[in-house]
Amino acid sequence: MGILVDNNSRVIVQGMTGREGASHSRAMKEFGTQVVAGVTPGKGGTDFEGWPVYNSVAEAKAAHDANVSIIFVPPAGAADAVLEAAHAGMPLIVLITEGVPTVDMMKAVQEVKTLDALNRAEGGQGIRLIGGNCPGLVTNGQAKVGIMPNKIYTNPGRIGLISRSGTLTYEAAKLLNDAGMGTSTTVGIGGDPVIGTTFADVLPLFEADPDTDAIVVIGEIGGADEEAAAEYIAQHMKKPVVAFISGRSAPKGKRMGHAGAIIMGDVGTPESKLAAFAAANVPVADTMPEIIDMVKAALNK
Amino acid sequence: MKLHEYQGKEILRQFGVNVQDGKVARTPDEVRAIAREYGQPVVVKAQVHVGGRGKAGGVKFSPTEDKAFENGEKILGMDIKGLTVNKVLVTKAVDIDAGVEYYVGMIVDRNVQSYTLMASAEGGMEIEEVAAATPEKIIKHRVDPVTGLRPYEAREVAIKAGFKGNLNKIADMMVKMSEAALKRDAVLVEINPLFVGPDGIPLALDTKFEIDDNAMYRHADLADWRELEAEHPLEIEASKYGFAYVKLDDGNVGVLGNGAGIVMTSLDVVNRAGAKPANFLDIGGGAKAEIVYNAVKLVSKDTDVKAIFINIFGGITRADEVAKGVIQALNDGILTKPVRMRIAGTAEDEAKALLAEVGSPLIQMYPTMFEAADEAAKDANAAEGK
Repeated sequence: MGILVDNNSRVIVQGMTGREGASHSRAMKEFGTQVVAGVTPGKGGTDFEGWPVYNSVAEAKAAHDANVSIIFVPPAGAADAVLEAAHAGMPLIVLITEGVPTVDMMKAVQEVKTLDALNRAEGGQGIRLIGGNCPGLVTNGQAKVGIMPNKIYTNPGRIGLISRSGTLTYEAAKLLNDAGMGTSTTVGIGGDPVIGTTFADVLPLFEADPDTDAIVVIGEIGGADEEAAAEYIAQHMKKPVVAFISGRSAPKGKRMGHAGAIIMGDVGTPESKLAAFAAANVPVADTMPEIIDMVKAALNK
Repeated sequence: MKLHEYQGKEILRQFGVNVQDGKVARTPDEVRAIAREYGQPVVVKAQVHVGGRGKAGGVKFSPTEDKAFENGEKILGMDIKGLTVNKVLVTKAVDIDAGVEYYVGMIVDRNVQSYTLMASAEGGMEIEEVAAATPEKIIKHRVDPVTGLRPYEAREVAIKAGFKGNLNKIADMMVKMSEAALKRDAVLVEINPLFVGPDGIPLALDTKFEIDDNAMYRHADLADWRELEAEHPLEIEASKYGFAYVKLDDGNVGVLGNGAGIVMTSLDVVNRAGAKPANFLDIGGGAKAEIVYNAVKLVSKDTDVKAIFINIFGGITRADEVAKGVIQALNDGILTKPVRMRIAGTAEDEAKALLAEVGSPLIQMYPTMFEAADEAAKDANAAEGK
């Protein structure tokens, strides 16, 4: 089980023949993911290391009954690649690309949401975008649609992980792995200001997943996604949630690497996020290893 | 990229916004010439990329040509929050008391996954101050990123905010601001104050404009507006290497790692260890020895840095490559400060062997980020006699 991706995910790679697309297609295959085809406009009909390459998402999807697309297209064409996949009716679209202009993402996210609603109204399963600027997602022991190092996912477990940061996702997954707990599904939602799926969108999926017992939320400064997550947890979650907030010592007005990691005025401060989690009775770890202790404590209650 | 007031105004003018006349001067004589040309009282305004110019004495009303010259002399060359004023904007003065000052602005808002338009009748103040004191006086409205702001929406917001004057003209200014934001990839745009005179016509007196760095590739015409002299020299050097680097004030520990999240957390860990991070430096994934070498070189140039904390989580990154980069910096005489590092992941044993061979007390590896940060903090504080 787990959420969003599993053994049945049939994955196409948009931008497979580029450097990043190629190396991560190999790594995903190694992990055991069913990578079925690639899409590179102009290279349709060719073969890439045994994978058939198509000119369009629609062709690849039709030929292989694909249900997930992962995108490694450079920033200037990334939002367009998302829209192509969404209009082809791809149920899950994972945008890895970092550096996509925010206005492009605003337009793409809005259009994906409209297509999602239409698709659902017609009885479909909907269309969801994860990212951009994200490491993707992994359901331990089943499928990886992302760029995480394979070896930190050796012990499948029952902890769900959601994060705005790539490297901290790896850090947390490894800590959980080494502590003998392991993860069910890991979802990297991305570090950009405008992203397709937020913490509050993923939490209900974990709440409903029989293979997840507790959830770790790794947030950071900037925006108010953590506050929205805290509100959702307080109102709807029965499973325990543990949080961590990165960048607590960052100064105001400076962008900390991620385009979305910036405190603007009074929005995005660590104080506001800590207060929101406290109000929702969600323990917040001061250091990453403390996450493990807090998850253990929450599960033993 | 943050724009100066005069640059932001230039963009707004391109989109048809009624902007207060003004010209840029680089010398007091130029200030005088502009004041003479206008033949009326002017305001001399420092053009620097920091807030609070007025409070710092960087904005001066100048009733006469001589006074304008004098104020030009005072403001040009002045230091505002560490930045030297090289340019002033000389604008026609407006009789503020004869009209009203409003605020309108748009900001990228992740909560609504688009822009939020903000409007307030409390113009002339920083919007953060209004938000803190009287949040109910700020009217917010999500702008559709595909259609942009429509005139009827702008009128609705203006009415709710209590704006008086020619509502159609005020709404039109807001619509044009929205067009400027969407076409020019603004992260933030503000018209503040938006002055409405006795005739009811809106006039943009000041603006803030910041452009999304990720979109700069499609604004090649604005590339010249990037001012290297206004940026920290180390930030300029970092951009040559393609590093995400931010210089931090009052720090003593140089921090570098692979990934924005891990570096942000590394800053927090240094703080907890009782020292202060001097910078944020993300060297990216898959870092090779040469990249690490350049990163160490960059951080070592910072005279604030007394010790360096390297925090690498190796998925793709090999620990021995990181060690090689640091050792190379030591051998080349670039590295003179202690390096305390934590590298988790592949080839840790090879890295340890390489470091043992060198046997320098300057470079030490630790099993956790906390131990490495503690040691770096101790070294840095000891070097400062703390």
